Amino acid sequence: MSAANDTLAMSPAAEPSDTAPVTTVATLDPVATAPADAHADTHESTEHAGGEAHAKGLPQFQTEHWAGQIVWLVIIFTILYIAIAKMFAPKLRGVISTRGSTISEDLANARAIRDEAEAQAKMSAEETAAAHAAARKLASDAKAKAAAESAKVQAEEDAKLNALIEDAETSIRASRDKAMAYVEDIATETASVLVEKLTGKAATKTALKAALSKA
Amino acid sequence: MADPLHQFQIQKIVELPTVEVAGIPIDLSITNSVMAMIIGTGAVILFFLFATARTAIIPGRMQVMAEGLFGLIDDLAESIIGDEGRHFFPFIFTLFLFILSLNLVGMTTYFTATSQLAVTAALAVLTIGAVIVVGFARNGLGFFKLFVPSGVPWWILPLIVVIEIVSFLMRPITLSLRLFGNMVGGHIVMKVFAGFVVALAGLGIGGVVGAVLPLLSVVALTALEFLVAYLQAFVFAVLTCVYLNDVVNLGHH
Repeated sequence: MSAANDTLAMSPAAEPSDTAPVTTVATLDPVATAPADAHADTHESTEHAGGEAHAKGLPQFQTEHWAGQIVWLVIIFTILYIAIAKMFAPKLRGVISTRGSTISEDLANARAIRDEAEAQAKMSAEETAAAHAAARKLASDAKAKAAAESAKVQAEEDAKLNALIEDAETSIRASRDKAMAYVEDIATETASVLVEKLTGKAATKTALKAALSKA
Repeated sequence: MADPLHQFQIQKIVELPTVEVAGIPIDLSITNSVMAMIIGTGAVILFFLFATARTAIIPGRMQVMAEGLFGLIDDLAESIIGDEGRHFFPFIFTLFLFILSLNLVGMTTYFTATSQLAVTAALAVLTIGAVIVVGFARNGLGFFKLFVPSGVPWWILPLIVVIEIVSFLMRPITLSLRLFGNMVGGHIVMKVFAGFVVALAGLGIGGVVGAVLPLLSVVALTALEFLVAYLQAFVFAVLTCVYLNDVVNLGHH
């Protein structure tokens, strides 16, 4: 790099071995170097002609620099190609495809877990429904059974009570008939006593009877 | 004003011997052009070394950038060439990164290697060479069907074949001149406007005021040139894909 910065003070003609870099300087001040260029043209080999040629147009057309550039380009390009083809590209492709498969695997796992959870939720819902139905059936069975039992008990009680009522009514009727029978006796007796008290003499039984039946 | 073409001048940094191969002298000296390639490629390799040092499913910042570049070219190759684009991905990716890094090295005021016709021509020949090699390897002599499009009436075939051959031969030229022209033109314009700034500012107070306009232009042009630097690398990669697609899927169109 430093060689490229050599000053114009070095005449290419005077020191041909050191002055290859002089080419750089020529373009800094075209007017000043013009004579130097012309001078150098006569002395220097084609290797040093780069600087002088700039006046003729683009420096890119100085074909003496082509071969070296192309050889170096092929070498450097090949190095880069090998580095990319053997190291970087496989590594990057590997990590990208690994990431892709990891993501799809994770997605598949998540999907499977979600499906499983859904199946379980469905199963538990079914179980709950079944339990509900069973409970409802049990409750209605129990109710029906209880109703039947209570109806049966009630019927028995009713029958028992009806029998008691019947008995009571029968005995009541008997007592009443008995009492009615006594009423006649009492009335006869009372009437005979009343007649005896009023008349002073006992009334005959037949008269009393006739009077009572008349009443 | 400084010569706007001076920036393209090849200068030697490390003097190395000249080798003669088949009568052509090859100066193996490390020049500023070669140095720019070494810097650019070295930066790319360093970047990817760091980015892929610890690759993780959940990427770091560097890895995201590297994967972004990777995905850009991978999608491109796959969308243009199809499933077989994967075979050519390393070559296309190398081309893209090589050109992009050289363009960006050029934007750092160091030498722009892609403004050298030798470099762009070599890249274009490399690309077309790869296309021809792939074409013959895949199709054998069927490669020449590339110049005979199907479904064309026989009587205009001679004309079409000539046009196809010429257009094929033009490909390396257009490939190299497109990149070369873009980089040279952009850098000359930037240099000229920057020269205006210096020249006007040297004229005194009025000149300093007048220098604001070219200064703003240089700022805007710099942004534009960054875009061009990326775009030209991308265009080169796209065209490489298109040309490879022609020979890879020769029977399918």
